[in-house]
Amino acid sequence: MASASAALNPHRYLMDDRRFVGVIFLVPALLYILLLVGLPFLLAIAFGFSDVTVGNTELNFIGFDNFVAVWENDIFRQVFGNTVMFTLVSQIFILIFANILAIIFTQEFTGKWFARFIFILPWATPVSLAAIGWLWMFDTKYSPIDYLLLQTGFLGPKGILSNSRNLYWLANPVLSQISVIFVQVWRMTPLATVILMAGLSSIPTDILDQAEVDGSRFMRTLLQVKLPLILPIMVIALLFSMITMFGDMTVVYVLTRGGPVDYTRIIGLYSFQIGIEGGNLAQGAAMALFAFPLLLALALLMLRTASRAEVR
Amino acid sequence: MKQLIRILMVLGILVALTVSAGAQGGYAEGTEISLLQWSHFVPRYDEWFDAYAAEWGEANGVGVTVDHVNFTEIFSTLAAEIDAGEGHTIVEVLFSPASYIDGLHDLGDLNAKASEMFGDRASTCQAASYLPVVDTYYAYTHGYVPDPGDYDIALWTEAGYPDGPKTYDDLLEGGRAIFEATGIPVGIGMSPELDSRMANRAAIWSFGGSIQDENENVVLNSEETIAAVKYLAQLQNEAMTDEVFGWTAASNNQALIAGEVSYILNSNSAYRSLQKIDEAAAANIGFTSALAGPAGAYASSHVWQIYVIPEYVEGDELEAAKQFILDHSANYSDVTYYSELYNFPCHASTVPELDGWLETDPWGSQPPNKFEVLKTVNDWSVHLGFPGVTNPAISQVFAESIIPNMVAQVALGEMNAEDAVAQAHERIEEIFADWRARGMVGGG
Repeated sequence: MASASAALNPHRYLMDDRRFVGVIFLVPALLYILLLVGLPFLLAIAFGFSDVTVGNTELNFIGFDNFVAVWENDIFRQVFGNTVMFTLVSQIFILIFANILAIIFTQEFTGKWFARFIFILPWATPVSLAAIGWLWMFDTKYSPIDYLLLQTGFLGPKGILSNSRNLYWLANPVLSQISVIFVQVWRMTPLATVILMAGLSSIPTDILDQAEVDGSRFMRTLLQVKLPLILPIMVIALLFSMITMFGDMTVVYVLTRGGPVDYTRIIGLYSFQIGIEGGNLAQGAAMALFAFPLLLALALLMLRTASRAEVR
Repeated sequence: MKQLIRILMVLGILVALTVSAGAQGGYAEGTEISLLQWSHFVPRYDEWFDAYAAEWGEANGVGVTVDHVNFTEIFSTLAAEIDAGEGHTIVEVLFSPASYIDGLHDLGDLNAKASEMFGDRASTCQAASYLPVVDTYYAYTHGYVPDPGDYDIALWTEAGYPDGPKTYDDLLEGGRAIFEATGIPVGIGMSPELDSRMANRAAIWSFGGSIQDENENVVLNSEETIAAVKYLAQLQNEAMTDEVFGWTAASNNQALIAGEVSYILNSNSAYRSLQKIDEAAAANIGFTSALAGPAGAYASSHVWQIYVIPEYVEGDELEAAKQFILDHSANYSDVTYYSELYNFPCHASTVPELDGWLETDPWGSQPPNKFEVLKTVNDWSVHLGFPGVTNPAISQVFAESIIPNMVAQVALGEMNAEDAVAQAHERIEEIFADWRARGMVGGG
C-alpha cells in the first residue's frame, strides 16, 4: 500500500526524509547569515587589514597597522570603556525589569492583553523614531521632564535638584550617560520580557504544584524553582540583548552624537564617524572589529552556562 | 518609382527630425542624468531647483531626475554608490569630499571652463574642490554659505553695543552683561556637531591658531590655540549655560526663534525661519561679520554646495552632467535669489545683483539693508583647512569633532587648556600621518 502511494506521489519519500526537510528549513536561515552577516563580517576583516578609503576600495594589505593605530588612539580606549559600561549597566536593569514584568504578565488579571500590547510597543517602534521621541523628551531647553520637575519644585530658583530651569539631560556628562542607558533599557526590556514569559510558561505545572504542596511561598518558588528552571532561556535573552546593544549606534547617534565630549561615544558610532564621515574606511572597520573577540568570548561563555544549566 | 522616391524623402525627413530632437544638446538619445542633493534648509530653493532641472532636461534632450535626502545621509550614500559602482550622476555634498577623491572624476576641465566663463572664484570654494598634493580637482563647488553672527539688537543695545559685538572681547563683555542682567545666554556650541565645529574653529583662527599651516603640517598646539581655548572656556563659564555641551544642528534655530539667546553664529536660515513666524522679532535680529580676535577676523563658511561626479559615470551622461553644472552656475542669480540669499556664488560675476540685494533684501527684511554686512564676506569667510587646504585629514578631524570636544573638556573643567590642546594635537598628528601615508596629505 505504501509503495503504491509512493508511486503516485514520488515526492512523498523526499518530504518524509527528516534530513532533507531539515536542510530545506535551514537554508533560509543559512542564506541570511551568510549573505547579511558572514559576508559583511569577512569584508570588514579584509578592510581592517587594508588601506581602503571611502573613495578607493582596492584592497592593499597593510598588516596590523590599523589595529595598532586604533589601540594607540586614547579616545578609542574611552569609547571602548563606554561601550562595555553602557552594555553591562543596561543589562542589569533589563534583567531585573524583565523578570519582574514577566512574572506580572504571566499572572491572570483584567486587561492583561492590553497591558502586554502597550508594553511591547517600545520594541515594536523603529529604533530611530523611538530615539527621536526621547531626544525631544530630553531636550536641553524644552524637555517635558524638566517642565514637570519645574512645576513640582524640583527645578527653578528654589529647586531641590538645581537652581536652573533645566537639567540639561544630554549636555551633562553623567545625565547624558544615564539618558542613553535609560533609552536602551526602555527599548530592550520588552523583548527580554517576552522571552522570559515564554520560559515561565514552559515550566511544567506539576513542578509548581509540587512546590506549593511542599509549602513553598512566592519568593521561595521564584528563587529556587522558577528562576533556576528558566536560567538557560534567561541567558539567551541576555545574550541577545547584549549583542544587539553592543552593536547599536542609532540611539547615541540621535541623542548625543557621542557628546558631551566623549562621554556617550561608543564603538559603533566612533567607527562610523571615522570610517564613513571621516572617509577612513580601513580604520573604521578595524575599530568595529575590536568588539568581536569580546562578544565571541561572551557568547561562548553564556551559551556554555545555559547548556550546563539545562543539563542540570 | 516617383512614389518610392517620395516615400524615401518623407522617411528621411522623419529620421532627421527624430535625430535632431534626440540630440538637442548633442547627446545620444535616451541620455539621462540623476542628481542626489541634500534637502535645502530653505525649502523654496528645492522647489525652484526641481523645476529648473526638469526645464534644463527638456531643453537639452536629457532625462533628469532629482532626489533629495537629509544632509546627514549624503556622505554614506555617496560612499555606498562609489562602492557599488553605480548610482547618481551628480551628488551634492556640504563639505569637502577630499577623502572620496579616488572614486570621483577629476573635474579640472570643468573648473577651468567655469573660470574661463565666470572669472575668479572665492578662495573658500577653490579650497573645497582642489587637492594640491595630487594636483586634482575632485569637485566643483558652485556656492558657499556665509556664517555671520546673529545678535539680539535690543539686548546688545541695552548692553552698550547697538551694532552688536565686533570683537571677541565685545562678545565676552557684552554677552556676560546680558547674561547676568537677563539670564539670556550667548549660544556658541561646544558639542560634537556641525555648528560647534565651525564656531570653535572661528575663534581659534581669529586668535592666530589653526589645525595645520599652509604646508599641511599640524600646528594646533600653539600659544594662540591655547589662548583661544581659554577664551572659549571663560565665555562658556561666564556668558553661557551648559546647554552648549548638548548643542545640535537645530539649537541655533530653536534658540533664536524662542528669543532665548543673545548671539549665535549661523547662516541666515535661522533668521529666515524667524522672519516667517514673527516679523517683529526678526526685525530685532542684526548681523555681524566675523568677530575680530588678536590675529584677525575669520569665520568658516557655514557649508558649501559642492558637486561631485562619481567615477562610474561615463560617456554622454558625463558630458551632460558637466554641462548641467556649468548651466546651473550660469543661472546663479536664481540660485541665490530662491535660496533667500542663503547660497552665495563661488563666482561673483554670476550674480551681479548680489550687492543690491544685500542693500535691499528682496525677501522683505526690516531694515532692508540687514545683510549689508555680508558684502565683505570674502574677506573673512574661510574653509575648514585654513590656512592650508581642506584635505582628507582635515575632513576626518572634522568628522571626529576633535576641536569642540577639546574646548568642551576645558570649559567643563576636566582639563586645563594646555593639556587639552596637546591631547588634541596628538590625535590630529595620528590622523595626518595616516592620510599622508596614503599620499593624500602634503607636509610632514
